[in-house]
Amino acid sequence: MNALILSAVLGVIMMFSGILLKQKSAVRGVAITGLAALLLVNILELRGIHFFKIDVAGMMYFDRFALLFISIALFATLVYFILSAKDMEKVGADYAEYFALIFFIICGIILVASFKSLLILFLGIEIISIPLYILTGADKRNLKGNEGSLKYFLMGAFSTGLMLMGIALIYGAAGTFDVEKMKFAIETPAVLPVTGMLLLLFSMSFKVSAAPFHFWTPDVYDGAPTVFTSFMATVVKAAVFIGFIRLFDETFGTFQVKWQMWLAVIAAVTLFIGNITAVFQQSVKRMLAYSSIAQAGFMLLAVYAMNTSAKEGILLYAAAYSLATIGIFSVLNKLNDYTFEGFNGLAKQQPVVAGALTIFLLSLAGIPLTAGFLAKFFMLKSVIDTGTGLWLVIFAVLMAAVSVYYYFRVIQAMYFKEGKADITVTGRFKWALVTIAALIIILGTFPNILINWLYF
Amino acid sequence: MIHLLQINPSTAEAGSYLPVAIQLIFAVGLVSVLMVATHLLGPKRKTSDKLQNFASGIESHGDARQPMAIKYFLTAILFVLFDVEVIFFYPYAVNFKELGWSGFWAVLMFVGFFLCGFTYIIKKGALKWED
Amino acid sequence: MPINYYIILSIALFCIGIVGVLTRRNAIIIFMCIELMLNAVNLLLVAFSKMHHLAGKAVLETAGTDGQLFVFFIMVVAAAEVSVGLAIIVMMYRNIHSVDVNFLNRLKH
Repeated sequence: MNALILSAVLGVIMMFSGILLKQKSAVRGVAITGLAALLLVNILELRGIHFFKIDVAGMMYFDRFALLFISIALFATLVYFILSAKDMEKVGADYAEYFALIFFIICGIILVASFKSLLILFLGIEIISIPLYILTGADKRNLKGNEGSLKYFLMGAFSTGLMLMGIALIYGAAGTFDVEKMKFAIETPAVLPVTGMLLLLFSMSFKVSAAPFHFWTPDVYDGAPTVFTSFMATVVKAAVFIGFIRLFDETFGTFQVKWQMWLAVIAAVTLFIGNITAVFQQSVKRMLAYSSIAQAGFMLLAVYAMNTSAKEGILLYAAAYSLATIGIFSVLNKLNDYTFEGFNGLAKQQPVVAGALTIFLLSLAGIPLTAGFLAKFFMLKSVIDTGTGLWLVIFAVLMAAVSVYYYFRVIQAMYFKEGKADITVTGRFKWALVTIAALIIILGTFPNILINWLYF
Repeated sequence: MIHLLQINPSTAEAGSYLPVAIQLIFAVGLVSVLMVATHLLGPKRKTSDKLQNFASGIESHGDARQPMAIKYFLTAILFVLFDVEVIFFYPYAVNFKELGWSGFWAVLMFVGFFLCGFTYIIKKGALKWED
Repeated sequence: MPINYYIILSIALFCIGIVGVLTRRNAIIIFMCIELMLNAVNLLLVAFSKMHHLAGKAVLETAGTDGQLFVFFIMVVAAAEVSVGLAIIVMMYRNIHSVDVNFLNRLKH
């Protein structure tokens, strides 16, 4: 609750900071300070210190799972601000507004992570989506940006329509939007709740870009300004996954057998399409878009399994995936050439940057000793714990092996190809990259420093 | 089956529709009589001027699909936004007494956020008409 | 009237909306079809709200009102979406002088 109210207020403050402050560095300073404060008050709430006592009528519930995820999301956003906030200046003139929109998105993320009523889920998803449509089209003169923005908007609004129909049908069956009070009997699967559940499944798959509802993702991620793709593909996607898990755990937990098979198929198709298509990409930005689809396939395994290790794992996955992808995108922002050739010879010019980038890529590929490996391990373990779906585990491992190919192409370009990667970075940027790389290795060795927050 | 609209079934007989039917016949009849009458009685002038678009009596020129100033669009959109937000005052107005002071503070906060947006629009110059 | 009529009516409206979104090529018309989908949901929610109210008013006087409140939220969010969506369509129109979504294939190449 602390972070929710503060983030809404910070959004308004950022709106006016664009008018009051003339210097862009001052705006950036306000944003980073505000986000750090946001992270602090949220961690305080995780330790049991509440600043606001507001009766939400049971529509929201801030448990440790939600609060820990919000902390991870805020931390990843802070890292994102530190690494890439300067690159937002290149996008357009409305510098302060971009920060304001991101703060509003954070507001939506908090709602999605802590909802107990389908109304809050709907509002959260919309508060995330609407600013994202704007950010995608932030570069007004860029035709690709326009196209991505319009596509994102039409597809997003369409999937919102599906979701609302699902919610309406569930309301018809249950008579309430409160997920606690909904009790669907498994013996008599009525038409209304099952149809509603399927519509919600499809619309959430749209939002997390799971195949076969993924077709908008590459175009939108490619068309959007790279700085905003970085945020969209990481923090936002992880947040929608948390909403997905909460929805299917708490609302539809009773008829898991009904949707588990659907999810297994969706996860398998997502893994397949994401990984195989990523192999054929020539642009690193587009490759990362497909890789985000592939990683979504892995995260879907947690929704499939829905047990303790799935919930622990999804938090670790969110942290590992967000940090690594934000790091890669922050380097991509500095490059002019987004193809694989653009990375040629980076290791000779910027050995520190190339080294950090290698760790990020290894983490995404799931090589041991990195956080990405343990995250994938938790996902697979959760599926094995359910006792079903062994074929899914084997398939996922195979697909992870495929993913090594396209992540290593970037490493190969950096280390073993001659060329002039065109990049200039500051010393502070290098330090930030190294810190994140170190963090990924620490998380990969001692995951408990993150997961223990759930219990203590 | 649950009845959603509370129509009293006893009044829904065929006889009670008679006034509606008379009204319908009268309306359709009046329109058709007037149309036929103007067609027969009115003078007929067949000139090329009649085929042109009527633009307040001024001679029309150019294409209607010209670029339009973006501020019309902006004002229209802002109107839609602020107009629809008022919807939240309806439940409050109905339950004004029951909600008491806590409801009042909540609505005041809502209006406060609203005013922030409004000030922002004015400061940004979105409502400036003269260039 | 039985609730089934309302369900059938709104599902029909919803399907018209879906078909429109999938087959039409004009961005504005696609947008209108999406609005039609949302309004079908509104209708259904109000009908269900009334149904739950009649079923539960003996126990709780405010039973079923949450459905109508949800409709308010859908309307407001739809208005926000309209403003952003129309702005995006206008932005695209200013650049390519068309609102045909068939033009949206630059990213494929």
